[in-house]
Order: sequence, then C-alpha cells, then structure tokens
Amino acid sequence: MAQMTYLQAISDALRYEMRRDSNVFVLGEDIGAFGGAFKITQGFIDEFGAERVIDTPISESGFVGAACAAATTGFRPVVEFQFIDFIACAFDQIVNFAAKCYYRWGIAVPVVFRGPTGGGIHAGPYHSQNPEAWFTHVPGLKVVLPATAKDAKGLLIAAIRDNNPVVYMENKFLYRHYKEDVPEGEYTVPIGVAALRTMGDDLSIISYGATVHLCVEVARTLEREGASVEVVDLRSLVPLDRETVLASVRKTGKVLVAHEANITGGFGGEIAAIIAQDAFEYLDAPVMRIASLDVPVPFSPPLEMAMLPSVDKILAAARQLLAY
Amino acid sequence: MSQTSPKPDLPDFPAEIEADPKQLPYDKEQLLRFFAAMRLARAFEEKLGALYRQGKLLGAAYLGMGQEATSVGCISLLDKGDYFSTVSRNLSAWFYRGVEPGHVLARWFGKDQSPSHGRDLGLFLADLENYGIAPFHNGSMAAWIPTGAGYALSFKMRKQPNIYLAFTGDGATSPGDFYEGLNFASIHKLPLVIIAEMNQFAYSTPPEKQMPVKNIADRAPAFNIYSEIAYGNDLFKVIDASRRGIDHARSGNGPALIELKTFRQRGHGEHDDMSYVPRELREFWENRDPIRMYRRWMIERAEIPALDIERIEEDASHQIERAVEYAEALPYPSPEAVTERLYAPSPHDPRAEDRKNIFEPIENPAVPSLTATKERSTGGHF
Repeated sequence: MAQMTYLQAISDALRYEMRRDSNVFVLGEDIGAFGGAFKITQGFIDEFGAERVIDTPISESGFVGAACAAATTGFRPVVEFQFIDFIACAFDQIVNFAAKCYYRWGIAVPVVFRGPTGGGIHAGPYHSQNPEAWFTHVPGLKVVLPATAKDAKGLLIAAIRDNNPVVYMENKFLYRHYKEDVPEGEYTVPIGVAALRTMGDDLSIISYGATVHLCVEVARTLEREGASVEVVDLRSLVPLDRETVLASVRKTGKVLVAHEANITGGFGGEIAAIIAQDAFEYLDAPVMRIASLDVPVPFSPPLEMAMLPSVDKILAAARQLLAY
Repeated sequence: MSQTSPKPDLPDFPAEIEADPKQLPYDKEQLLRFFAAMRLARAFEEKLGALYRQGKLLGAAYLGMGQEATSVGCISLLDKGDYFSTVSRNLSAWFYRGVEPGHVLARWFGKDQSPSHGRDLGLFLADLENYGIAPFHNGSMAAWIPTGAGYALSFKMRKQPNIYLAFTGDGATSPGDFYEGLNFASIHKLPLVIIAEMNQFAYSTPPEKQMPVKNIADRAPAFNIYSEIAYGNDLFKVIDASRRGIDHARSGNGPALIELKTFRQRGHGEHDDMSYVPRELREFWENRDPIRMYRRWMIERAEIPALDIERIEEDASHQIERAVEYAEALPYPSPEAVTERLYAPSPHDPRAEDRKNIFEPIENPAVPSLTATKERSTGGHF
C-alpha cells in the first residue's frame, strides 16, 4: 500500500500498464513534455518515449478515430481528453465507430477514453460537465466513474485490459482533494461490480463518481441522528451491477439516487426505473433523485452552487425519505 | 420551375486507353484479371439494380458503375499486409481481392453471412484477416480518414512496411474528419494513401458547391503531402499515379493524395434519377466508360483474343447467377442472435465471487468546503 491522491492513482495505473504491455500507448493534447493539463502523464515521455506518449494536434475526432483503428490491430490506446467536455468533438467516432465495430464485424476495439469531469471548481460551461449519460445510451460502450483513488487505479487497469471501448470518467475535484492507501503494483477492480461505502438498513443512497463523497458525508450525519444509511457506489454504469442495487433496495425499502449530472435524461432515471420495475413491492416510499439542475454549468460561484447537488440538498431529501 | 444547367466545363480526356501494351509489365493473365474484377462488379451491380427495381432488394441500392478502373487499378498495387477501405462505389476492389460475390449478395439480402451476420448493409464490409479490408464508421463522410491515419500509425509503430489505402469521394473531402485525419497523418509522416475519386457529384451536389477549389488535389498543399491528378477511367493512368503515391507513402515520406477524375454513371442510389446531371456531361463520360475502353484496348492494342474476353464475361454472368442462388438459400439470422456479440469477453468481467465482499468504506470523504487538504503539483490546473 502507498498513499496516493486520486490523480496519482490514475498515473500509477497508466504507468503500470505501459510498463507491463508494450501495446499500451497514450495520446492526447499536451500530454508529452508538458505532462498534460492536470499532470497525469508527467514524466511519461521520458520513460516511454514520444512514440508511446503522443502529443496530438487539437483534433479530438481525428485522434480518437486513429486510436480506435490502432486498437483493432492489437494496440491498447488510452486517449486523454484535456477536459471531458471536448469529448463532444469526438462523439461520432466513439458512438458510431468504437461502439458498433464489434457488433457489426466481430472486430474488437480495446480503447480507453479518459478525462476530467465535474463542476464546483468555477470553470464554467465548457470545463465542468458530466456527460456520462450521452454514452450510457450507446450500446457497445462501457462507462466507469471511479470515486476513490483505489478504484481510479483498479478500474483504469481493468479498462485498459478490457476488449471493448471504455469511457473512463475522472473527477477533477477529487484529483488533489482525495488521498488514500492504494495497492502498489497489480490491482484491478472488475467492471460492473458496485461497492458499498456505508452499510445500513433504513435508506439506500445510490450514487457514483464524486457525488459518492457527499453521500457518505450525509450518511455520517444521519448516523449521528440515529438513522442507518447504505451508500451504494455504482463505480460502473455500463455494465450495471443491478444485483447490488436491488439487494440494497430490498433491504432498506427507501431509495435516493444522487449524481452530479443534470437530472433530466440522467442515469438516475434509469436506476429509478429499474427499481420501480424489479423492486416495487419492497418500496416504502417514492424513489427520489438529487442531481444538478437542468441548466449549463454556470461560472459564478452562487449560480454554480445553486446548480450542483450538495451535502445539504442530499441531506434534506434523505430526511424527507426517512420521515416518509 | 425547371432550371437549365450551365454547359459543363469538359476535360480533355481521350475516349480510349493510350498505353502501349509492350511497355507494360503485365502478361495476358494479369490483363484479364483486371478485366474479370471490373466486369464482375458491373454484372453484380446490374443485377442489384434489377433486383431493386423488382422490389426484391432490402433498402436502397448504391452502385459504383463507371468507377471500376479507379477501384481495380489502385487496389492491384497493394502488398501483403496492406489494409484498405472502400466507399460504396468500389465493389470491384473487393472482387479483385477475392471477396465472394455470393457472400456480398447474401449480406445485401440481410442473411446470416459472416462477418456481419445481418447486422450491417451489404455495401459495407470489414474483414482484416482475410482481405485486409478495415472497419470504419461508414455513416459519416470522411470518418474513415482518421481511421486510415490510425492504421497507418500502427504500421509505423510496428515498423511494418505497409500502407493504408482509403478511397474517398469528392464530397467526403469537406467534413472536418478529412482535415483532422490528414493533418495527423502528415504531422507523423504516416503511410496513408488517399484515393480521391472525383466522380462529379456528392449525391446531387456538384464540386463547385462542395469546395472553393477546382480539384480535390488543390486541398493537398495545406497538408504538405504528395498529390497528383489522373484520368480515372484509364486503368493504366490510375495504376501509374497510384503507384507513385503508394511508393511515396511506403518509403516513409508521409501521406499521398491521388485524385482520379471519373464519373458516377448512376444516381447516388437507384432511387435517384440524376436529373441534376447536365446531358453533355453524361454523354462525355458515357463515351469514356472504363470497362468498354479497356475491352477495346485489350482486343485492338493488346491483341487478346475476343474469345478469352467473352469467356470472362460469361463467367461473370454465371457467378452472379450462383451468387443469387447462394444468397437466396442462406437463412436469415435468428432473432435470438440480436443481442449477441455486443461486448467482447474481457479479463476483468464480473464474476459471482466479486460481489462477496463489496464493503469498501470511504474514511475521509472529499467534500467541497469541508475538505481542508489540497495538494498541488507544479503547473497543473486546480
């Protein structure tokens, strides 16, 4: 074990896989000598050379298309989006080439698309988004969102070894705000298995990504008030660990779904629908959702705070459910 | 209101193949091989068109008649291990590489034919293993140019002496992917060869509404790549120009763009009556049909017995008959197969035992405004 920030855990996973498998290479904007906008690949070019740490021109569709093609020949490219918002520029190659290739031709595309998501750092509408639902809607893609440093490492290694295109969404607030013991060397987390961050009997809070931390804080607060809350961290949205979600709901009978992406068409709706269909008779209260408001992520702090989910907003909904 | 088309600016292309057979490195067998692929594609597409008009074809029929010389000429230059991708006008390239017409037709009929098993249209095919035909996103125009750059990148990274050849049309040189793919390929000096078929119309849009330059090759200087323009209905002119482009790319000098002037003899699809094509233009190119010109050249200049040519023509008809029989007899995929082969099995797919111990508490949650510690690395954001 070694203490690592969430960011260091991502770097560690990338470095570990690049040392282990010469077919793994990274490409993206400013990732070479500069080490990337967030310094995930700092020092990589010295260790692995410019052939495996490829600085690209600013052309997401171009380098994503190239990475996908290389992936079909046995390489395992890891594409860095400087901010995940820019994945929109490569949407076509991801959803129409990477996602469909194996279904159409039986030709696998083992590629990872990774980049920083999330607001709360005053970066405005184009550097703060949480676009996971754009991709969970596309059959053929896997979508993972680590909430901890351990998962950041374990899920990234699993994603690189996965034989399918994996959208790996990091949270930029967690990069340098979360630190924990992370196993050194080989460490993987299966893609499609949720984790319980707290255990409880009165209420299930189902979440993923950085919002999991808010939910744990809420669970702690409620615990002091005598309630027992279970926080389920999905870790992977596609494939989804329905089993763990339904087991928790059947135990507690009350569910709050929380995520940072805005609410309409967000993945929380899918969770609520699954619960309504498969655990209806266990429910003691309506399924509630806390998510961002349906507006772009605004820049000015009071606006941004009003838009994003918070401990207070989740706490209020949780109390409402507990009292139901 | 009917619109009169302006008189088209016709190029100065001869209505015959000029090559001196004695100067060519091809024996009779090879000359007939070129012809066989072109003739088979023409017969196949004539059949497709007929089936479409009889209402026996699923969906639309997009034909490449008139573009057989562009397709066969450049594809004949590929080496072992080279990859290529076609657009919807290059059936003859597949046939030259040995793709079975029956398999193609079975896909067109939506039958359970590998590798697509009914999941994609008959005019698309990806089969790297058997034919070197690469997969790409066939939906958006030019999406295959970044893909081509990626295949060329993997050849370069593996130090393989191979090239990637991507067919493209005039319309497909406008989207951003064309620029992004070629830009990347040129920066990294990747062995990417673009065969740009200027077939005069992108669906109904003529070149002057597609690009602010006269030729596709006029776009090449922006990428600092090799380019040239050739007459695409003369098989040997296609081969000459393509060879120079391929040699350039294979030698490590970066991408090449070969523009081949040709003509799409049918509409975008068989539903399209081509009313937008000026009569003079159509007549000009009808007199320059690549297969008819080549056939005449073989008899008159290369002194190949007409009997040998007729034998190939008959064989093409028979192959099409057999293809129809094969495709009709093949079963459709079973409905149960619809959800199969969506995700490739992977080493870290969940197993039952993975759910045994999933309690992994977060001791110190990171919550904005509650989190005091903040580590900065030099130069990084946030």
